This record gives sequence, C-alpha cells and structure tokens, in this order.
Amino acid sequence: MKVSTQRRFIRAVSYAILITWSLALVFPMYWVVITSLKNPVDMSVKATFLPFIDFEPGLHAWRYLFVERLAWFMQPFSNSIVVAFISSGIALVVGSMAGYALARFDFSGKNNSIVLGFMAQRMFPGALFILAFLVMFRELKLLDTRTALVIVYAAGSIPFIVWVMRDFFEGLPIEIEESALIDGANRLVVIFRIAMPLAAPGLVAVFVLSLIGAWNEYIVALTLTFRDAITIPLFMQMQVSLTGYTEWWNMSAISLVGVIPVVVAGMALEKYITSGLTFGALKG
Amino acid sequence: MLLLPSLLMTTVLFIAPVAWTLYAAFTDLHLFRVGVETEWVGLYNFQKLLASSSFWRTVKNTVVFMLGVVPLQFVIGMVLAVCLDNITRGLKLFRTWFLMPLMMSPVVVAFVIGRMLFQEDIGPINSLIRWLGFEGVPWLTHPNWAMFTIMVIDVWQWSSFMTLMLMAGLQGVPYDLREAASIDGASFWQTFVRITMPLVLPIAATALLIRIIDAFKVVDIIMVLTGGGPGQATESVTLAIYRAGVKGGDLAFGSSQAYFLLVVMVVFGGAFLVLTRRTMSQTKD
Repeated sequence: MKVSTQRRFIRAVSYAILITWSLALVFPMYWVVITSLKNPVDMSVKATFLPFIDFEPGLHAWRYLFVERLAWFMQPFSNSIVVAFISSGIALVVGSMAGYALARFDFSGKNNSIVLGFMAQRMFPGALFILAFLVMFRELKLLDTRTALVIVYAAGSIPFIVWVMRDFFEGLPIEIEESALIDGANRLVVIFRIAMPLAAPGLVAVFVLSLIGAWNEYIVALTLTFRDAITIPLFMQMQVSLTGYTEWWNMSAISLVGVIPVVVAGMALEKYITSGLTFGALKG
Repeated sequence: MLLLPSLLMTTVLFIAPVAWTLYAAFTDLHLFRVGVETEWVGLYNFQKLLASSSFWRTVKNTVVFMLGVVPLQFVIGMVLAVCLDNITRGLKLFRTWFLMPLMMSPVVVAFVIGRMLFQEDIGPINSLIRWLGFEGVPWLTHPNWAMFTIMVIDVWQWSSFMTLMLMAGLQGVPYDLREAASIDGASFWQTFVRITMPLVLPIAATALLIRIIDAFKVVDIIMVLTGGGPGQATESVTLAIYRAGVKGGDLAFGSSQAYFLLVVMVVFGGAFLVLTRRTMSQTKD
C-alpha cells in the first residue's frame, strides 16, 4: 500500500517535470510562429503574446518571403537542400561500403583500430580544419561553391556512418550472403541486393543524421562561402548582422522554413534517429 | 577495395588539413600575402599567443562556457531521463518532442531565443519582468548576462541529448533490481544512488565527454548573439581563430590558436576520463 502511494506520487512529480520542460521547449517555437504573423506595428511598442487578442495576425512576412523576395531567399534554401542531400548521399554510399568491409573482411586484424581511427576525427575541433580548407579550396578555385561544401560535409559524415554501419552489418546474419555467394552472385550484387536492403533502418538513420548535420553546419560554411553558395544558417546570421535591428517577422518566417524540414524529418523518424544518435555515441 | 574511398576522403580532408595546420603554426603564412617566401618562425606564434591577454580571455570564456553548460545539461538531462523512466503513458510523445531541439540549427535557436525572447526592449521575457515590477535585464549588452544568455541557449538545445543518452542507459538497468531494492525498503533516492547510477555511469561518461568536446567548439550561437561582445566578454577560441585566420588572414597565428584549443580539449577530456575511471573502479567495490 505504502509502496504504491509512493510510486503514484513519483509518477505525478515526473509528469509535472516533463510537462514543464516540454513547455520550455514549446515556448520559443510558439513565439517564432506568432512573430512570423505579426505586423511591424505589433512589435514597435511592447511585446504582444496572443494572436487575435493582442494583435491581428497577418501573412505579410510569408508573402514577403515567398512572393516578393522569392529568388533572394530561394538561393540559400536550394543551396542547403542540394548540399545536404548530395553530401549525405555520397557519405552514405562511401561510408556504408567501408562499414560493410570492416564488418565482413579481416584487415590483418586491424579492423578495430581502423574504426577507432575514423571515430577519433570527431574529437578534433572544426577550428583545426577551417584554415587549411580555406587555402586548399582557394587553390582549387572552389571557394564559394556548393562543391566545396559537398566535399567537406561528405568527408565529415563518413566516420560516423562507418562507425554505426559497421556494427549494423555485423548484426546481420552472414548465412544469407554466404549462400548467395556460393550460388555464384558476386560480392557487389550481394552488397547492394542483400546486405543494404537488410540494413535499411540503419541506413535511414545515418542518412537523416548526416543530412541534419549538413543542413545545420555553420563554421565551415562561414569560412568557405560568402555569397553564391551560402546555406540557410549562414544566410540567417548574415541577415541578423546586416540589419542589426532585425525585421523580426521576416526573420521568424525564415527561421521556420530553416528548421521545419529537418525537425519534421527527425521527429517522423524518431525511432531510427534516437537509436542512431545514442547507438553511434554509445558503442564506445 | 570498399574501404578505399573513405580512407582516401578522410586522408585528404582530415589528415592533410591537420598536418598542414601544424606546419602553418610554425611559419609566417599569411592568406593575403602572395609571392613572398614562407619562412619558419619556430615557436614565435606560440610565444605571441601565450603573451596575448586577449587570447587568454577567449580561452577563459570557452572554459567558463563549458563548465557552465555541461554540468547543467547533465543534471537536467538526468532528471528528465529518470522522469521518463517512471512513466509509461505519453512516453513516446515526450521522447519525440525532446528530440526537436537537437534537430535545429544552433543559429536559428540562438536567433529565436537570444534575439527574440531575450530581446531587451520589447522581448517577451523582459516584458514579463517589467510587468512584475522589476528592471529589464540587459541580457545581451552586459558582459556577464551575455555569457549567461548564451549558456541558456545551449542548455535549452542540448539537455535533451543527455536525456536520450541516459534514457538508453536506464533502459539497460534491469527493472527487477530496482523493484527488489524498493521492496527491501530502499527509498527512491537510495535506489537511484546505489543501483541505478553506478550502472548508468559508463553511458553518462560518454554523453558528458561528447558534450564537453562540443562545448569547446562553440561558435555559432555566439556569432549570432553577440559577435563575441560586449567587448570580448563572450568571444570563444573558435571565434578568435576565425577572426585571426580567415578574416585577418593570419593563417599562422590562427593555426597556433587551433592547436592550443586542441591541447586544452585534450587536457580537459583526459582529466575527465581519468576521473570517471577512478569513480567507476570505486563504485565497483
């Protein structure tokens, strides 16, 4: 009797804490949504909190973004999409092949060291690379191009993908692959027809995680791009620095467009993402 | 054969830059100076760095930031993970919702929270504070408050990461064990300290180490919020490296700062690992 009362109490407290934190997470989102619907006058004197009561919501920020300044805004947006998808695609193919190789073949007993070598790269600060990248891509005449970002982001995602996918492939039954090999299928067919489809959940997780990583990356984009190839985070920061006193309603709309795609993708694939995130970190 | 592309890519884009940066740190390489022989300058850049009070300021800022956010994220993350562990209904909903900040760009988070919510004149937080009859807080224009605001943003965004990691750890603690302890009369707190905590420790250590490393790299939120100001109050090492090397073109000096940052990270990371090792071997007894 005593135990169950105590447990009920603990549960109630737990819900209270969880709901409090959830609200702390909601409030900025609520604020950015309503701000994107505000008119300049709603923000000139004091803060307004409730649409229809405090202020009359309008779509003018959205019209500004998607009608008046579409080209201006579409450039960084499409840069982000192109860079994130292509770099993650490359990283996925290259990284999962390496993960497969490290799971199935023996590299004179050094497999674990190779994987650790890949993973050690995570430890290094980005600041250690940006100057070298700057010089390197200047020599290659690739500054301010999407190509430069694709190359860097792909290389940046590979270690994590190798790390996670190697374990994933090791967890798959080897018998199916062996019998296919005995039946005369060659190794590439086995990889792309048998192993990869079986590893689909892992592939989805690492793909989306590297997509999100590329979408949100900042310091490399700041170093390597400045006008044509800028991505959303850089674009936003530039707008903030440029205008100083910012046009909040427009910036709110940009913020929302900048986060909604990845947040929706991440939350829809919650199960995969959480396991990818924790698994990648935990297999230490 | 399958391994080759990844090895190639990481060699070109990881090992080569790291080696080049090391080389640059001992030269007088400059971005905007072309056609002049590059010379070895030995330890000159490092001497310059150690003598620079403004560089030490950025090191201090970065360490303060790390020591401010990581423990707080750990405590919040742990509380939330334990709460999630106590409930069944709505578990998936909370977990999905907690994932949300982790997907977001720090630039956007910094803008929305720092520039909008904490806006000093008409932001909602200062409005509420004034409505309650107090003075508005100079969230971004006072040196200490600016650092505080930056920390709040990082805590808002990354506490969930701790929660998800620690959740994974808690799920590994057999329920029977805790059940048995509570039947034997152990309180909730005793069970947590004696049984749950030691078993979660390895995962907690990994999560902490990841966050420590990430905290040392902080730059994007600072760039959006304060640009390092007021004065130099919130400038991180990475921001200083960007300013010296990319903006200022002093590749050599920037490189030496980057290596210094690596050393600081290794020292803190190493100390942390030694500490957790010791704690773990103690709790095993």
